[in-house]
Amino acid sequence: MTKHFLGLGVLLAVGIVYPAIFPNYLTIAISVLLFAGWATSWDLLGGWNGQVSLGHASFVGLGAYFVAIGQSRFGLAPWWTMAMAAAFAAALGYFWGWLTFSLRGPYFSLSTIAVAEILRLVAINEEWLTGGATGVFIATLPEPFGIDLFSRVAQFYMALAFAAVVVATVIVISRARFGYQLRAVREDEDSAMAAGIDPTTTKLKAFMLSAALTSIGGGIYGIVLAFIEPHVIFALLLSVQIALTAIIGGRGTIWGPAVGALVLIGAGEMFRTTFAEANMLIYGILILVVVLFVPRGIVGELARRRIRRLYAKRAQG
Amino acid sequence: MPNVLRADGITVKFGGVTAVNNVSLSLGSGEILGLIGPNGAGKTTLFNAVTGFAPVHSGRITLLDKDITALPAFKRTRLGFGRTFQTERPFEELTVLENVLIAAFLTAGRRSEAERLAMNVLEQVGLADRAHQPALDLNLARRRRLELAKALAVRPKVIFLDEIMAGLNPPALREMIAFVRTLSTQGLAVLMVEHIMEAIIELSDHVIVLASGEKIAEGTPQQVTSDERVIEAYLGTD
Ligand SMILES: Nc1ncnc2c1ncn2[C@@H]1O[C@H](COP(=O)(O)OP(=O)(O)OP(=O)(O)O)[C@@H](O)[C@H]1O
Ligand SMILES: [Mg+2]
Repeated sequence: MTKHFLGLGVLLAVGIVYPAIFPNYLTIAISVLLFAGWATSWDLLGGWNGQVSLGHASFVGLGAYFVAIGQSRFGLAPWWTMAMAAAFAAALGYFWGWLTFSLRGPYFSLSTIAVAEILRLVAINEEWLTGGATGVFIATLPEPFGIDLFSRVAQFYMALAFAAVVVATVIVISRARFGYQLRAVREDEDSAMAAGIDPTTTKLKAFMLSAALTSIGGGIYGIVLAFIEPHVIFALLLSVQIALTAIIGGRGTIWGPAVGALVLIGAGEMFRTTFAEANMLIYGILILVVVLFVPRGIVGELARRRIRRLYAKRAQG
Repeated sequence: MPNVLRADGITVKFGGVTAVNNVSLSLGSGEILGLIGPNGAGKTTLFNAVTGFAPVHSGRITLLDKDITALPAFKRTRLGFGRTFQTERPFEELTVLENVLIAAFLTAGRRSEAERLAMNVLEQVGLADRAHQPALDLNLARRRRLELAKALAVRPKVIFLDEIMAGLNPPALREMIAFVRTLSTQGLAVLMVEHIMEAIIELSDHVIVLASGEKIAEGTPQQVTSDERVIEAYLGTD
């Protein structure tokens, strides 16, 4: 655990000086950090607990809308609305889990697609609150300690803090009782019950925590975008991107989702300039490569090899 | 001897098939109850019904005079049941220690405490030197012992062992028999399904014989092995 926290500390230090060194590459760094945080949050449910969600754009969107509507209509500061979004996302996760966790395997995943679809329709139809299909615009933001939240540097640090908090949460959970309950339920629900674990409660807790964390990143994303449109934020594409980021990086590993974010966003950005739809192409190719050659994801495969080497050595000596 | 576990008139049906029909049993602490019968007799199903992994059609189960018939499996575990699965079910992606740790976390709140309990149990079953190996890599005899360790790590009052001796070589079998004996001398109530008569005769205080879901005989190992219906049931299926 100390090893992981040390790694996180080093990355944080790099992050803190990053804006001074690469002031022209802040937007892409914000993308990487937000996706790292979202994918890591997703992984609590999808990787550690084995319940693949294809609806996490819902929670991103909730966070963004709460911040935007709170600010523009009620003059509520983002930190209050992010907390409210987190509570609402957790409640929605609880409700959806309660409704669907009796569905096994792919059926749960498919059902999650509906969540974002429903929210998108609500956002389009409840125009009085959400601005309908046109969306909401954040025109002003508070300036805590004189910090301009519209500046990319401030947004970068918010995204950095978000990603760091989520990774730290997973580091702690990975060693704790809850982390083992998550994995036990993923591996074998009957065996988990024989160890006194309630599979449904475990999955609900995972869903709630995953949703709440994701929505906080969504709130930051709302500030970054400043203009929130329902079809962009509650998009299946975003849900799929979040899931793929974690899967390609390595499900159920501490650093996998963050590595996935770096690889996917980095590669996507590099090719975008030469070929507009490059993102989709990159995703397509990466999915193929991962499914065929590294089913455990990048970090998952590396960890596996390390354990194998360790045992090969021990068996000889 | 006071009863720890009682099951009265347990019936389990799968669709139209009655897998267990009106079977009762009772068990005191430190007692070993052997459950035998031909393949498909309903032994595992009876285990599952009592531990909460199969739906009970009718009957009543009490643990220390508390009615647990309606409780889900994980709650029965929390009240004092430990069980193995006939086909071992380790958490394959995890290490041997982590497998046992998951069960140990039931009674140990802090990680250090859970780890101590888990290592303790692994030493008891002779897997301590494999603690950091992936569970996936264990051979059959060791998988059995891991299954046993997981069942013990919840600190049960009653332990259900489903054919943990099957397929073991003679020395491993002797070890396992001795181990089950120590469990009962420590005050655990043991319910075991076993095809290996050597183990049943040596260990059981009391034996129940099932055939086609019915209890056809019960008594001491000597009584049931000389019972004509039992001999018939076994010869009949061969
Ligand atoms: N989940 C289930 N659904 C339908 N039928 C089942 C189910 N589980 C068991 N059975 C049936 O119930 C009967 C009893 O099976 P059970 O596994 O309890 O036998 P057993 O005595 O444990 O046999 P073995 O010695 O082979 O382990 C069998 O006919 C089996 O096919
Ligand atoms: Mg059986």
